[in-house]
Amino acid sequence: MPPKQIKGEYIETDTGNKVSRKSVILGSQNIILGGKTIIQADCTIRGDLRRTVAPGQQSGNVAIAVGRYCFLSRSSVLRPPGKTHRGLYSYYPMKIGDHVFVGEGTVVEAALIGSYVHIGKDCGKFTIIKDCVRIEEGTVIAPNTVIPSFSVVAGRPGVVVDELPETAVEGLELKNIYRTI
Amino acid sequence: MAPFPTIHISCPCNDSISIAPSKSSASRKAPEHDDPEESDMTFDPGSARSNFSLFPLENLLYCEDCNQIRCPRCVHDEIVCYFCPNCLFEVPSSTVKTEGNRCTRNCFSCPICFASLSVTAADESSTSTSPYILLCPHCFWSSAEIGISFEKPTSITAQLAAKLKLPSLQPSSSSASSFSTPTESYFPASASSTTPTIASVETTLTPEEMYARLKTHYATQRAGSGTDEFGTSPGALSRLMGLYSSTLSGSKRTFGTSLGVGKQTAKQKPDWHEYEHVQPTHDESTLINKMRTVGFTGTTSSQQRIIQPHHPLFTSQLRPLAALLRTKRSKRCRACRHILVKPESKVTTTRFRIKLVAMNYIPALTISLLDPTSVSYHSLTPLNTHQFLLTVTNPLFDPINVTLATPQRTPGRFPTEVTILCPDFEVGANTDVWDEALASAGATSGAPTGVQGSQGKSRRTGKKTGNTGTVWDAGRNWTTVVIEIVPPLIPVEGGDSDAEGEKKITELDRIVQIPVCVRVEYETELEREDSLSALSGREQKEKREHTYWSVLGLGRIGKFGGVKSSEGSDTLGSMDSMPTRPMGRPSSYSVNKPSAGPGLGVDAFGASGMGAAAAVAAAVRGGRKA
Repeated sequence: MPPKQIKGEYIETDTGNKVSRKSVILGSQNIILGGKTIIQADCTIRGDLRRTVAPGQQSGNVAIAVGRYCFLSRSSVLRPPGKTHRGLYSYYPMKIGDHVFVGEGTVVEAALIGSYVHIGKDCGKFTIIKDCVRIEEGTVIAPNTVIPSFSVVAGRPGVVVDELPETAVEGLELKNIYRTI
Repeated sequence: MAPFPTIHISCPCNDSISIAPSKSSASRKAPEHDDPEESDMTFDPGSARSNFSLFPLENLLYCEDCNQIRCPRCVHDEIVCYFCPNCLFEVPSSTVKTEGNRCTRNCFSCPICFASLSVTAADESSTSTSPYILLCPHCFWSSAEIGISFEKPTSITAQLAAKLKLPSLQPSSSSASSFSTPTESYFPASASSTTPTIASVETTLTPEEMYARLKTHYATQRAGSGTDEFGTSPGALSRLMGLYSSTLSGSKRTFGTSLGVGKQTAKQKPDWHEYEHVQPTHDESTLINKMRTVGFTGTTSSQQRIIQPHHPLFTSQLRPLAALLRTKRSKRCRACRHILVKPESKVTTTRFRIKLVAMNYIPALTISLLDPTSVSYHSLTPLNTHQFLLTVTNPLFDPINVTLATPQRTPGRFPTEVTILCPDFEVGANTDVWDEALASAGATSGAPTGVQGSQGKSRRTGKKTGNTGTVWDAGRNWTTVVIEIVPPLIPVEGGDSDAEGEKKITELDRIVQIPVCVRVEYETELEREDSLSALSGREQKEKREHTYWSVLGLGRIGKFGGVKSSEGSDTLGSMDSMPTRPMGRPSSYSVNKPSAGPGLGVDAFGASGMGAAAAVAAAVRGGRKA
């Protein structure tokens, strides 16, 4: 599969994803990477935790969808959110937009993350994070929280503490990080 | 601690600096003494005023008509739309006016930890028709703790308002809907008794009741004036007539139950006074007893108390907080009223129709240590030469000519010596990435497109020599130059060695902040579609320049190894007592001064006992020798 740098740290796919050899990726058939996404060492992506469906129902086979130019730092975890619904514990698909930075050691269990999001640390279940959001380090976001665009979130639980300027899209772009690796 | 290095740009709306020093004033600066006019010219990052004018480049806007940076302080905000940050529904402004700026759907935040609450069934196992509660998923506070549960999971706001309404208020508010006996409805006491004592009534009312009464009062007033806002309706006219002549009775629609309507209503309206801030404490003993029983955990923290409208003392009195609405705002230049930022009105989009940000107009500065391994940003060695790389990146589509000017010594009590090795250089245009590739692949002799040597001297790209007058490195639309700084020696705190004597050394003194005046000159095509240029048929070029002050926070001065504090203070004292030197002298006019190498700078200063001026002279001499 790797066309070049066979002994390098990263495995590069056809669409330009660079996946560390030391990362743990489970259920890779249920994971979509949009391209040019970097997954660093010791990352865990739980693609195996997908929706448990009742027999006879159409099952969606995507557990985690990641957009372009995302960056998963070392030892971060992507884990689809799960909850008990009508007595049945089930996982729900997780969708991540483009240019999403996930900081070191972060556990992401969000339902949806928009584009241009910078996450320093933890993130709660079923969180919906819209575009252009910056989450400061050490933040724990409560489950089911919705974070609107152009927010800066900090604290435990994470609350919106500031607004991002209009140039947030440029500031949060990750194309340059991709080039360096 | 703020991470270093920091780069802030001063918005010229600050009064303390001149708006844009022109070319002539810049050249005039050199020989002058330190007079007030000149101190105006140099931007002092330590002054109290500059705190309000320094912004990171990302926060700045740019007005094309004024050709000026606009900071958040010099723009007007106009609200485009209101929306709830939780459910992301847009709220029309009429609803905001009537219902207040809080979400009227199911969006509440926890009164304990301020996370957003979710509506859940009180009993998980049972199916439908169970009571619903608001539950905090973070701290597990629930509305059941204050004894509130809801019958249905929708329209929580209305249910909550009904539950929180005091039983005493309900009859009066229900009758307030009919305007048949308005006086009675909003002021039952006056209707019953002929001489109502307002003060006695007010003390018995809770703030909520008072508010409800006031609201009803104004609703009646509005109803009297009719739907017409300009007061031309017959109802309003008759009311106005009734104000002046008591013989004219008001119309039946208004509150004309008796003669002298205006006087009576003015009396019935409660007086203005501050609600709730000072709560009457007739019964402090009961409060104390309650505190004793509920304990520390039962009382509210100051943050929890302030955010609630009724400032509760106990957690049992807390109520779920309806989510405050957020806005999308467009921004206008204060000077010319042109729109600088206009977001799309749809709530969930992040696009802008108009976005004039300074990032696209003025060159961006980035700075880093030349040798990151040698010294940390948080402990710069005093009296040692540190070299930094200052990169200027051009966002414009025309090549720019950049002139950097900085005072030789930074303003402040402990001045840092600054030298920009190449203060005058060019930065290439922000052209297509392919242009660079083509240029490099093509002719090897010619310079890349848009990168022309300035003043005849050819541009040496990628040489990376620390020589004076040459750039360090350059690329398509960026150029890097070297800045040398010599941080001062700050005497050890606690000793009385300070020359001033009375002022203590603050953290601000330890931070190296360098004001740099950046002047940008470029030629651009005229944007206006003049008939003249169209007739002449050739490109008309316009020369433009832009000047701004930026402040580079380079790091924090650390401890100096082998020097005793007394020795250091000697040097410093002589520095302070020496005759005033021209502060605002830009280093662009001291280009010829050779760069003192790291060793040389220390040597010159190490000969303490010499004045600083002598030391500088020695440095210059030493440089000449070398």
